[in-house]
Amino acid sequence: MKKIHLIAVLLGSAIVAASCTSSSSENTTTEVTLVAYDSFTPEEGIFDAFTEQTGATVKVVTAGDTGTMVSKAILTAGNPEGDVMWGIDNTFLSRAQDANVLSSYEPVDEGDICVNYDKEWFNERAIAVPTSFEDLVRPEYAGLLTVQDPVNSSPGLGFLLGTIAHFGDNNWEQYWRALKDNKVNMAPDWSSAYYEAFSASSDTGKYPLVVSYGSSPPAEVVFAETPITEPTTGVIEATCFRQTEYVGVLRGTKNTELAEKLVEYLLGKKFQESMPLTLFVFPINKDAILPEVFEKFAVRPANPLLMEPKKIEDNRESWLDTWRGLFS
Amino acid sequence: MTRSQHGLAAAPWVFLGVFFVAPVVMTLAIFSDITVLQETITNSFFIKIAWFSLWQAMLSVVVTLLIGLPATWALSRVSFPGSQILRGILSAPFVMPAVVVASGVLAVLPADNNTGLIPILWAHAMFNISVVLRIVGPRWELLDQRLEHAAATLGAHPMHTFRHIVWPHIKNSTMNAALLIFIYCFTSFGVIVIVGGFQRRTMEAEIFTQAIRLGDTSTATALAVTQIAMIGLVFTIVRTRSGREISAQHIQRRPPLSSTTHNRWIVWGAIASAVAVVGLPLVATLWRSIYSRSTQSFTVSGWESLLDARLPGMAYSATEVLTNSAMFALLAALVCVPLSLAAVVSNNRFLFFVSSLPVVVSAATLGIGLIITFDVDPIAWRSQWWLLPVVHAVIAFPLTTRTLHPAYTAIPTSLRHSATVLGASPLRTFFHIEIPIMKSALWRATGLSAAVSLGEFGATSFLSRSGTTTMPIAISQLMGTVGQAPQQAAFALSATFIIVTIGVMSRA
Repeated sequence: MKKIHLIAVLLGSAIVAASCTSSSSENTTTEVTLVAYDSFTPEEGIFDAFTEQTGATVKVVTAGDTGTMVSKAILTAGNPEGDVMWGIDNTFLSRAQDANVLSSYEPVDEGDICVNYDKEWFNERAIAVPTSFEDLVRPEYAGLLTVQDPVNSSPGLGFLLGTIAHFGDNNWEQYWRALKDNKVNMAPDWSSAYYEAFSASSDTGKYPLVVSYGSSPPAEVVFAETPITEPTTGVIEATCFRQTEYVGVLRGTKNTELAEKLVEYLLGKKFQESMPLTLFVFPINKDAILPEVFEKFAVRPANPLLMEPKKIEDNRESWLDTWRGLFS
Repeated sequence: MTRSQHGLAAAPWVFLGVFFVAPVVMTLAIFSDITVLQETITNSFFIKIAWFSLWQAMLSVVVTLLIGLPATWALSRVSFPGSQILRGILSAPFVMPAVVVASGVLAVLPADNNTGLIPILWAHAMFNISVVLRIVGPRWELLDQRLEHAAATLGAHPMHTFRHIVWPHIKNSTMNAALLIFIYCFTSFGVIVIVGGFQRRTMEAEIFTQAIRLGDTSTATALAVTQIAMIGLVFTIVRTRSGREISAQHIQRRPPLSSTTHNRWIVWGAIASAVAVVGLPLVATLWRSIYSRSTQSFTVSGWESLLDARLPGMAYSATEVLTNSAMFALLAALVCVPLSLAAVVSNNRFLFFVSSLPVVVSAATLGIGLIITFDVDPIAWRSQWWLLPVVHAVIAFPLTTRTLHPAYTAIPTSLRHSATVLGASPLRTFFHIEIPIMKSALWRATGLSAAVSLGEFGATSFLSRSGTTTMPIAISQLMGTVGQAPQQAAFALSATFIIVTIGVMSRA
């Protein structure tokens, strides 16, 4: 009998909990919802100033990785889950535009996808660090590079787009054949490339070259287990492909005014200065001052490889099909 | 069937209708396109993927049975101290998130072997040994040991005894287990994404790629429909070949190991091989939680970070994540078990059929359906936190009904009749006779649904969250972050997950 009582109590409390939350969510006039990708981890209390200015609190809703977030938003375009969307990047922007997901948008941060290298590995063997895409297919660097499947991984796609931007629409295929002949390792995703295959992260990793981000070295310092003063990894600048992320007002929001204020706040100096050490991206606002560890170790190439969002969207499927043809 | 039994079916019908049938039908109705379907099933790229899904699933079934059946025999025929915890260890991976199982397998294998067929088969066997244990085990326990002893006394070879006495008795449950394992491996997603490499892809993985990465929901839906058709075909073939179960049941206690005629080395060997397959990756994960591969030294930083106000690089603490997971598991069980019980008692065959469908339908199909169905008032529930445990309950439903069904049908009709003759109302009979008899099955179902909720990562990854991050999501986020501290925290959280599930599953 006691067990039945317990179950009744638990059920009762669940119902009470459910009704409490639904009554509080009705009170949306002073709340603005920011839809973001899962790895959006802003500084604690960063929105307090926004609440002071506007009286509205910011509710962050995470919607999966960038691809999932955009795909979901497209499925219910015009009837959004929130008011503002954070983090559509240049590889997905055009798709979101075609589906009319956003009523307005602006670039909010940028970063680069670049080949990183294990400093110690090259030092110990007195081998020169490669400095270009062309170097990566030379025999002395055979079997040293690990990259990600561009179909299912964002950095993998960034690297592929970088090679297309560099070699041109007609020659990139040939380059990838050379990469394949030079024994490039293909990892399914970023984590297995960076943590299993990359020699700087793991004693069993065999590849001293990995596709990652231009901001990976400072992240290694910030998130080191035991404090270190200098990262063990470096960045090959000539391979950097520019990734720009956008923030926009979701079409169909009933909260346009607050949504626009939130976008303005996210572009403001305070928020922009908090981004490098929480999201590991560069601010778009020129007034924002970079933290020291970023200034020192993050690479921000002067002439990164670029590609128009529209060109990416128009060609992505055929490029990926061609790529799949090369590797399967 | 009585009127009250009809009434009982209403609750599970409404539940499955709203949270499963409606979203899936919505997806199929909106995105099904006959020309896309034709293009898809004639495209050589997709045919290759379908073929791979099929043969790797069959191979996974064979490998799992080869390792699982001997262990099931040992654990269901003999009792010895510690058998409960071994059962827990063998059952635990079934409910673990793929990211934990797959990273465990990767931690054991040499770095060269980190993608390919071997890690796929290993991870699939790890997941599914518990299916053999749970479906074939109870059946094997019921086989009257005196029959085997009689055969042995009469000079029958053990192989002979197995073929003519044991196999006819366990054949059907083995086929059922094989079928379930086939479906799980055919629709494998997490394992394939992590250890399959980019060339070995299942249809389920390709459905996600098409829907999410390439934004082609129509092709994704065509693949999902093809997948259901292929599973349905295999299901029909297997079902029409399995006959009626031969019954030689006898409720008995398992004899202690010391008093049996079985060679104890065979018993230990059978268990040890299964425990090695399941245990090594788990031990490797525990090991990695205290050993850093980059600095090549021992560290407790991962465990320490579980106590911090925020996990490294994340917006939440380990305590929040654990609380969320525990609360969702409890709620999922509270929703799932009573509804499954109602479905079982109502004895409605069609309901029973529908209740098993969540196993077959692709998580992406359900996930997309949830988003496009529950986006308008008054059912704009897509960002409500309670939708997560409700979807967990949908996914656990086929397992819990199948746990409760045999227990319910095993209640002798004479007991109910006696109660009625003595003047007990049906309700009274239900609460005072049936429920107490089904007690252990109810606990098992509760444990199972809670555990499914703890590990679910497919359909719910489509739902948005606000402060409701669960353990599997936190683990994969930590693993996807640059820096050694998040890595160590990921392994410490995985280790916690392993310890908790072994605890839960050795009771369930």
